[in-house]
Amino acid sequence: MIEVRELVYEYPTVRALKGVSLRVESATITAMVGPNGAGKTTLLRCLAALEPPYSGSVTIDGLDTKEAPRAIHAKLGYLPDFYGLYDALSVRRALTYTARSRGISAALVGDAVIKAAARVGLTDRLDARAGELSRGLRQRLAIAQAIVHQPAVLLLDEPAAGLDPQARRDLSQLLLTLKDGGMTLIISSHILAELEDYCSEMIIIEDGLIVGGRAIKVRDVERPRYLLEIAAARSDLRQFLSARAGVDVIEADGHHALFTHTRNAQARAKLIRDLVAAGFEVSSFGESTKTLEDAYFKQVGQGA
Amino acid sequence: MNPEFQRNLWLELTPRRMFPMVVALALIFFAAALTGGLVSGPGEAARWLYYLIVVVWGSRNAATSVVGEIRDRTWDGQRLSSLGADTMTWGKLFGSTAFNWFGGAICLAVILIDLIGNRGPVVALIELVYYLSIGVIAQSAALLASLIAAGRRHSHSQFGVFLYQAVGLAAAIIVYLIWATADPAGTLLARHAPADFIVWWGLTLDARAFLLLSLALFAAWMLVGCVRQMRLELKMRNGPYVWLGFLVFIGIYVAGFDAWLTGWQSLTHLDVVARRLLLAGTTYGAIAYLMVFLEPKDRVHYRWLGGAFAKLQFGPALGGLQGWMTAALGALGIGIVLLAWLAQTPQDEATVGAMLGFLCRDMAVVVLANMLTRRRGGDFTALVMLFALYVLLPAIVRGMNYETALVFFFPRVSDPLWLSPLLAWAEAVLATALAVGSLALPEEKVAAARAT
Repeated sequence: MIEVRELVYEYPTVRALKGVSLRVESATITAMVGPNGAGKTTLLRCLAALEPPYSGSVTIDGLDTKEAPRAIHAKLGYLPDFYGLYDALSVRRALTYTARSRGISAALVGDAVIKAAARVGLTDRLDARAGELSRGLRQRLAIAQAIVHQPAVLLLDEPAAGLDPQARRDLSQLLLTLKDGGMTLIISSHILAELEDYCSEMIIIEDGLIVGGRAIKVRDVERPRYLLEIAAARSDLRQFLSARAGVDVIEADGHHALFTHTRNAQARAKLIRDLVAAGFEVSSFGESTKTLEDAYFKQVGQGA
Repeated sequence: MNPEFQRNLWLELTPRRMFPMVVALALIFFAAALTGGLVSGPGEAARWLYYLIVVVWGSRNAATSVVGEIRDRTWDGQRLSSLGADTMTWGKLFGSTAFNWFGGAICLAVILIDLIGNRGPVVALIELVYYLSIGVIAQSAALLASLIAAGRRHSHSQFGVFLYQAVGLAAAIIVYLIWATADPAGTLLARHAPADFIVWWGLTLDARAFLLLSLALFAAWMLVGCVRQMRLELKMRNGPYVWLGFLVFIGIYVAGFDAWLTGWQSLTHLDVVARRLLLAGTTYGAIAYLMVFLEPKDRVHYRWLGGAFAKLQFGPALGGLQGWMTAALGALGIGIVLLAWLAQTPQDEATVGAMLGFLCRDMAVVVLANMLTRRRGGDFTALVMLFALYVLLPAIVRGMNYETALVFFFPRVSDPLWLSPLLAWAEAVLATALAVGSLALPEEKVAAARAT
């Protein structure tokens, strides 16, 4: 869906991207993480065909950003880090304007506005002026504007900034829904915790380069990571798990094992039964959290 | 309806704003009709109010239409929209100034009533075209200036907006002065004295008809310029043909005023063809100087352009030429024809040859200054370099009583005659070599760094 090859971008005083290459498959959510000033926003703007590369190429759905920027614009939804809204317009008019300017016909624009507002929980604020909304509600409106035309690719720069915990949870659910609907999402953030819930892959950018040179698979919705703890150490824990169907052990010692397994509840129940039947004193079994953070620091550590 | 125009109407034409405008204008016209002292009646008041509302205030709103979006961080969203450049341009130009045109329409109605009553419907119609043209030219000039600045990622501060508005006002003042010059008595088509005629391409034309048509044509070109600049903002490519069309138009238009040069003593020996070529070539040169400062000096684009020419991909390369390059090439082309035409006057040939050399040198100097100055300010550096070349160093040379060395700095009659063009072109080659060399510096540095 998205392919970047040896992308170099240069500001007048600094080379922001120094030969970035990556590939993002369709219907995925990719986290773009890294310290401030690493080049995340610049890369997003290059992906959005808003900035021309110094050298290298960016193709989205087979279209080159240099050759067909307007065709790419039509496929994109983009929420910048520092976005603006038309404060004097109502939510309805702001969304209507965005929908019409993104090519939705006048006959369909009403439904598109209602749907976008409903997706971000702004249905009851349609007649409120954007300037009167709280920071979190403004963020929701900005997200609604980015998705009102159902883009194939959605680029979000710090989308959860300013959202309360409930809104963040709703945002996670929305992003997963969009992904399930076939949308490809790239989300830039330097707050790993907010990406944990919905991202399946991660790109770490540091000093204008992708650490490790490629995206890392950090989370598989169908095959999550599980962490198993047993009370009494057993040296055959890895061997036992590896022999079970559908289990891929990532790491294991006498007391712990980290492995991927299908999300299916029946299959998990059977695995626990097998463990107990084999004499393993299971003290804890659950989905592993903080995988993104682990992967980040592992990669950054390698890079260093 | 154009979504951008509609959005602007939502913001601009609210009853809360329109009602006070109507009341205020009605009160002013009523006061003018009663007193007749400050201004001579509602018609005169309407003229001044039109200039204030449509030209002064309108050009500010036009200048803010894009700059305001950049400042309020909504411009990226607009650039990603599906709106075409022409839709976006007219939506902004007439949408952001909708409130001004609302007030202006009331003023125009009063002006027309006044004119029809006092000077007849023909004059009223001509004045209507004039007032509409001056409004559109002022606003589109301000929008064009702001778009050019946006392309160069320049200021979106209040001072920046003021500068872009000033460009609009300057365009309006030029239009006003030209119109007033052609109509010193303040009457239109009322008399056809000899002063009311213009000689153009040897034809004697009615001055006001000619100027009215010229105004309309320049207003149209201004709008075309806005659309092309908007295309660049929307990341669309501009083909070369519209710009070439403008150059052909302006060359023909300006060359037609050859009769004006007959009063210039140093040019009296030139025949009509030479005068016309000189006018067109000088105009292209002036446009090249203007555009080389206005257009972004993008290292990436220049490298791509060089690569395209090196690979003999002439179609894309010629399409990728910037406005200043095409204008400079136009000046060179006309200059070469002029050189051939002036074969019998070697002194003029040498001067024209030197002028062309210095033009090329100066273009290269501007590019070089921009490549060497990595922060913004390359154009300022170029201006300083050109100031040194044209003012500072010649002043030093003069101070040292070494006048013959001035041939290094200006097109001058030299002994031998070929020395002046030779030096000019030697400087042009040197400056071009340095400019081309500077384009490759950062990439080579990176390659070297990677190698190590």
